[in-house]
Amino acid sequence: MMNQTVVNVKDIHKVFGKRNENQYHALSGVTFDIKAGEFVGIMGPSGAGKTTLLNVISTLDKPTDGTIEIAGTNITSMKQGQLADFRSEQLGFIFQDFNLLENLTIYENIALPLSLQGVPSRKIKPSVVEVAKKLGIETILEKYPVTVSGGQKQRAAAARALVHEPAIILADEPTGALDSKSAKSLMDAMVHLNENHDVSIMMVTHDPLSASYCERILFIHDGSLYKEIHRDGSRSEFHHQILDVLADFAE
Amino acid sequence: MLLKLSFSSMRKRFKDYLVLLFGLTISIAIFYMFETLAQNKTFIEANSMISSIVFVFHVGTFILGAITVFYIFYATSFMLTLRQKEMGMYMTLGAKKHKITQLMFFETFFIGLISLVVGLVIGFGLAKGIAELFMWQLDFNGEGFQSFYLSSIITTVIFYIILFLLTSIVNAWKISRKSVLSLLHAEQKQDFVKTKGSRTFFGVLLAVILIGVGYYAMVNIARFMQLGLILAAVTIIIGTYLVFIAFLPYFVKRLKQNRTLNEKGINSFTLGQLRFRMLNLTKVLGTVAMLVALGLGAMTAGISFYHNIEKQASTFHANDVVIHQPSKEDTEALAEMNVTEKNVYHYKVDGDGVYFLKKDLLVNPPLIKHSDETFELPETTRVEESLPEDNYMLYGENDANRLPELWSTAIRTEMNASYQLFGAKDIYVYGTSEYQNIVSDEQQVILATVDDFKNYLPQLEIINQNQLELAETYRDDDVENAGNTKYSNYIAFKAIASGTIFMGFFLGVAFLMMMASVLMFKLLSSAASDIHRYSMLRKIGVRKSLLVKSIYRELFLLFLFPALVGLVHVIVGMQMFSFIIIEPYLKIWIPISIFIVIYGIYYWITVQMYKRIVLPKEV
Ligand SMILES: Nc1ncnc2c1ncn2[C@@H]1O[C@H](COP(=O)(O)OP(=O)(O)O)[C@@H](O)[C@H]1O
Ligand SMILES: [Mg+2]
Repeated sequence: MMNQTVVNVKDIHKVFGKRNENQYHALSGVTFDIKAGEFVGIMGPSGAGKTTLLNVISTLDKPTDGTIEIAGTNITSMKQGQLADFRSEQLGFIFQDFNLLENLTIYENIALPLSLQGVPSRKIKPSVVEVAKKLGIETILEKYPVTVSGGQKQRAAAARALVHEPAIILADEPTGALDSKSAKSLMDAMVHLNENHDVSIMMVTHDPLSASYCERILFIHDGSLYKEIHRDGSRSEFHHQILDVLADFAE
Repeated sequence: MLLKLSFSSMRKRFKDYLVLLFGLTISIAIFYMFETLAQNKTFIEANSMISSIVFVFHVGTFILGAITVFYIFYATSFMLTLRQKEMGMYMTLGAKKHKITQLMFFETFFIGLISLVVGLVIGFGLAKGIAELFMWQLDFNGEGFQSFYLSSIITTVIFYIILFLLTSIVNAWKISRKSVLSLLHAEQKQDFVKTKGSRTFFGVLLAVILIGVGYYAMVNIARFMQLGLILAAVTIIIGTYLVFIAFLPYFVKRLKQNRTLNEKGINSFTLGQLRFRMLNLTKVLGTVAMLVALGLGAMTAGISFYHNIEKQASTFHANDVVIHQPSKEDTEALAEMNVTEKNVYHYKVDGDGVYFLKKDLLVNPPLIKHSDETFELPETTRVEESLPEDNYMLYGENDANRLPELWSTAIRTEMNASYQLFGAKDIYVYGTSEYQNIVSDEQQVILATVDDFKNYLPQLEIINQNQLELAETYRDDDVENAGNTKYSNYIAFKAIASGTIFMGFFLGVAFLMMMASVLMFKLLSSAASDIHRYSMLRKIGVRKSLLVKSIYRELFLLFLFPALVGLVHVIVGMQMFSFIIIEPYLKIWIPISIFIVIYGIYYWITVQMYKRIVLPKEV
């Protein structure tokens, strides 16, 4: 299992704007792999194309060119309906904003992916409770999103991303709206999921400290891969390594 | 400075303000439309079959006013949701609370004033357009109706200014009570309606009692009269809102508590949507139910009056056509009708009297309308009385034999042997020998029934015209009325009823338009925040078809509940007319089906519009 590829991105391009208008190359030829059970970070300055990359991998947007395979399936040639099904079965999302549906309880939010897949109601509850325990939010299940803290919301979002056991979790700046304490606890939870439950994660972030929890980081700049670093030593060493790379960007 | 800021932010959220303006202006326009009738005493008194019509319109104004108050409070609270986040921001930047409070007050009032002006203009246009449409359709001259009616303008202005002052105060007060933080995060808040079992039970019980009292008053309106109308208006309005306030939150909660149901597919979301702004929702649905009741009620009454014209016209006549001394033109007109029964009777006329041949009458006895009891409606029967004497005279003066009652009815009413036709002559029924002794040409009168009376109005008009000319030869006079026939009654009833029908249609359309605008406003005003939710669902992989299904279901429930309640109100309410309409439920399926079709189409259109707004665009 460990060396199987979950995400295979081959030479993808993304161009915004119509052909005869002002075109903008947000991605120009990005290629990389994510292995099962990996925790990969994507970093780069604002406007580098991180969100665009995440969107095309998450099937929310179509690349202009190139192929993407997730769990062995080529998603670039799929139809809208199939893509929706694919997302609901194979992917889990955590976004910076609008994570949870505020008209549903935390429990209902987490249960939603299972309901959508037609999992019978008696099997839903144990799964929700189990994943909520993993993320330490089992006491707030009956509350509505507006009544819990930002960190709890984000962990609830992580629980929802995880509950249907997707091939990979995609997170866009999950700590972006959190204070440092909540950010740390969310990252701890994600590392825990990754290490103890073999969940593959791809996380976009601009926060070096959050990024230091990853095993591997891809830096992109102006729509291309710029550098890739692996974590060999401790987390604080990795943190410094990341800061060094970011300092390079500044020059 | 703040004022400037607030104007610029209004400009930025122009679309949202447009929605708000739309919601307010339609309400104002409809209120004005209603008042163009309600305040025009001369017109409504001249055109109504109901004696206390002015009073009825007073009660109508009260009902519409009450609904409007609910609705305007709901609509202007949308203003609050539009503004509170920004108000919170001003406060974090150091704006004083009383400044914000003032600002909220003036903004709400300002929007109110604009919509008042626009609403009056729209209301004037609608009143004119709709009135002309129905006058044309009903062939009704509508003399005295004025679409631009000053006293209605004044009433509308005063009513809404007071209302907007109140809502402005409430909005300002609400803003002043909230903390900065709760303002900033207000958009995500649920408004919860507490749903305890016992409270629901008593709420629903009270609602049922109130509505029951209202229904009782309506059914027995002949006994309670004006008091009954007031009682019914008050209890039914309160009861209707209470049904939604007490029952709906409980109902949705119960649905949600059913885990198997709630956790199936996208149900939890659909129900969550219903539950999210429950307090507003109950106000909207109560308002819609009342408007359905009023609009459909007015339409149904109008149509019922219309269908009852023929019923009324045939109260005393069993035969549809009577032709004395038919000309060629008359015979041709009759030939164009589908005649179901036709009898010919002979008679002679001289200077003193009209003499019917007894043999003809006995061979083909005519149909008449007859009732044994005074309060029963007459029923169609065939005359079976025998005529043993040789001769009879209609009223049996001096020594002459008096014609038995049923025969008398047949000759007076069905054959129209009346003063209006023959002038001052006595009417006789003669045996064959004496009949032959009368020196005069023999004439005939045709009685006929047809398959569908209303289909032959042009032919009947021709016949009626010829009968008038005939009457002139007997009466040496300009004759405007050649006696009572079913046709002449029909024309007379139609003249009286068309005013009432006009009012029914005019108001029906107005109320149903307001109903549509209220539902529309509810959807448009919540669409902005729904967009996020639908795009979120789409992202986590909900198929579009499933989202569409959820929209259909959510809106179906929104449309269904008030329609049901409104429909029941109408069906019971029609009882009120039973003292003036012979059969208030005659063909009631027509207005109800029309309503269901229009409402259904409106539902479908709303779903399509809503889909366009909230469903994310595909890549
Ligand atoms: N829908 C779009 N249309 C046009 N340009 C876009 C669109 N989305 C993103 N861009 C542009 O693509 C570039 C990369 O954006 P993004 O991927 O959001 O960057 P980031 O790395 O900050 O997440 C930016 O310059 C942005 O303006
Ligand atoms: Mg981004």
